[in-house]
Amino acid sequence: MKSETSLPDLILLVAGGDRRALRSIYQRESTRLFGIANAVLRDRDAAADAVHDAFVRIAGRAGQFDVTRGAASAWLGAIVRYAALDIARARGREIPSDDPALGDSAIPPEAIELLDAKAEGARLRACLQTLEERIRNGIILAFVHGLSHAEVAARLNEPLGTVKSWIRRGLLRLRDCLA
Amino acid sequence: MTPEERQALAAEYVLGTLDAATVRMVSMAAAADPILAEEIADWEVALAPLQDLAPPEAPPPELWERIAQTLEPTAAKRAPSGSSSWFWPAWSFGATVVAGSLAAILLVRPAAPPERMMTVLLSSRDQPAWVVEADGAGLRLAALNPRAAPEGRTMQLWALPQGATAPTSLGLIPRESGQVRVSASQIRPEPGMLIEITLEPPGGSPTGRPTGPVLFIGTLAPATGT
Repeated sequence: MKSETSLPDLILLVAGGDRRALRSIYQRESTRLFGIANAVLRDRDAAADAVHDAFVRIAGRAGQFDVTRGAASAWLGAIVRYAALDIARARGREIPSDDPALGDSAIPPEAIELLDAKAEGARLRACLQTLEERIRNGIILAFVHGLSHAEVAARLNEPLGTVKSWIRRGLLRLRDCLA
Repeated sequence: MTPEERQALAAEYVLGTLDAATVRMVSMAAAADPILAEEIADWEVALAPLQDLAPPEAPPPELWERIAQTLEPTAAKRAPSGSSSWFWPAWSFGATVVAGSLAAILLVRPAAPPERMMTVLLSSRDQPAWVVEADGAGLRLAALNPRAAPEGRTMQLWALPQGATAPTSLGLIPRESGQVRVSASQIRPEPGMLIEITLEPPGGSPTGRPTGPVLFIGTLAPATGT
């Protein structure tokens, strides 16, 4: 596999059953993807399970990747996040908790500036900035660290129902802003 | 569902805040509701930049080997051809996700060493659910986590050869059975063939075409070396 083969082309090759292409994707993306899984699970063994499950899914559904629908890396990242979230849910994430392990790894407010590195990220950031800070933080915590509504509520020290409706309203505002 | 509720549900599905039961419900709904599926895809694109906020981290060194083992379980353990004993080795799926037992597999023996193909059928939530192995002699399916269809419904197996416009029914999946075999007289497996399981009324689809939601789907691919 030549290293210059693009990620979308590698996914196409995987759809045709090419396992070496899958391996190339792994070599190129696994550090980023493992980071996504570990941010959700904060447990390297569980994150490895998530990346494992994700690559089995990628092998099985590479044919569904639509290059016109967004970046290949985003597609891969979404599959890994769903795999990690499935594991988090299977472990009973729904129990509200102040996870102390999250203390240091939670996304600091300035990290959002990382989004400016890419055009679509800068746009999302600009829209996130229009939201109230705690709603913005709730959305980012949920996405990056896989927190449930109950866990976001516990971290923000707000009632569950309030947080649910904040997040819902925030997401809908985000959609209007991005449209 | 109002358009606004649908939007919000799609967004929360992608954000990841929904509980397991609601996620299952949204997945099932999306399989039958292209607008919902489209909205989920839109949200995936919209929120994707947030992936970059997770700090990259190197995975354990043995992880690729484990993935390769799952996808090619027989490659290292069985002679590539001529073996007539169909032994299904232990799989190394992540125990937390695929906790169920891997059912033993029942088979039609191949007459000659044919091209081997495989796929993993995924649920609408992308859970690996069935392992399919195929060759010139037919198809063999083994459930990773055997589960019966809801009361009053049945699961039906279909194959769609590449270029075909309508799938061929391969029959019903026996209730509470984790294994299915399909002989080559019913279907000639080939790479690119879509294999799917749908939820149908008792006795199977009355129309000869899938009428219910797709529960599991995958595409046969040659089982080549890594």
